[in-house]
Amino acid sequence: MNRDRLIELADAHGADLRRWPDAERDAARALLEADPAARAALAQAAALDNLLAAAPRPVVSAELRDRVIASAAKAGLRPRARFHIGRLLWWSGAGWAAAACAGVVFGVGLTTHVTADVQADAVLYQASLAGVDDVEVLG
Amino acid sequence: MIADPDEELLRRVGQGDPAAIQAMVARKLPRMLALAQRMLGDPVEAEDVAQEAMIRAWRQAPRWTPGKARFDTWLHRVALNLCYDRLRRRREIVTDAPPERPDEGAAPDRGLLAADVGRRVEAALQKLPERQREAIVLCHYQELGNIEAASLLEISVEALESLLSRGRRGLRQALADLAPGAPHGAEGA
Repeated sequence: MNRDRLIELADAHGADLRRWPDAERDAARALLEADPAARAALAQAAALDNLLAAAPRPVVSAELRDRVIASAAKAGLRPRARFHIGRLLWWSGAGWAAAACAGVVFGVGLTTHVTADVQADAVLYQASLAGVDDVEVLG
Repeated sequence: MIADPDEELLRRVGQGDPAAIQAMVARKLPRMLALAQRMLGDPVEAEDVAQEAMIRAWRQAPRWTPGKARFDTWLHRVALNLCYDRLRRRREIVTDAPPERPDEGAAPDRGLLAADVGRRVEAALQKLPERQREAIVLCHYQELGNIEAASLLEISVEALESLLSRGRRGLRQALADLAPGAPHGAEGA
């Protein structure tokens, strides 16, 4: 960093070093401390900065703000229904448990029914035979 | 991966969160309005551009991919393109002479109020060549970094610096009578 480069930077970016390139800021600060001519260049840039700051800042009217907020819904942005994963998991678990219980009840009932039918058939078959003991069929 | 201060708010906007939408409007609409006003010099057109830029942001929010670009840079690109369209349309309208913007300078019989200085600065800004004005608006008023502004203008950082220098020189000449120490200088402006 030398005085010429500092003047170039002040001409381009003004007096606020925050607007200067990161890589050159520290070197510029060091030069400014040491060089009165560099400080004069910065003061000249500051005078223009002050004028630029006087330019009116546009104010957002309430009408514009409301129009823009309303345009979000028209563009399809609407709150989505909240998806409660915890509740879903609870209901899912309860559903599986109920299904398992129903399966057990159905299975026991079916087994009992089928076993009774098979035993009845065996008794009738045995009754139709001569000389066969019921114990051999029914165990 | 680019750090983006708007990322979390934008995610909520994409989900349609009304509070996030209002916060985004408060954060970005004044910036977009200022950009358009300083680029176009016309408050009505500036409102149209700012509103359209925000509508495009609403459409983009649900499908925004974090990490690829900063949302603020993207929004500036959208608004700048909308400004370019309008500036191009103005140029296409054939006129014998461009409309002269009032720039009366300092009247000798009255002091300069802050509002007068503001109007002079605004008029001087509008008289700058378009690219110089863009550079000044992006870097000075929108406070974008050099790399970001150069990328938006699709030029090198060195070229941006040159535009800024020439723009500021033009402004200094146009506003020379307002400088401290000038005969009608704006004290404390």
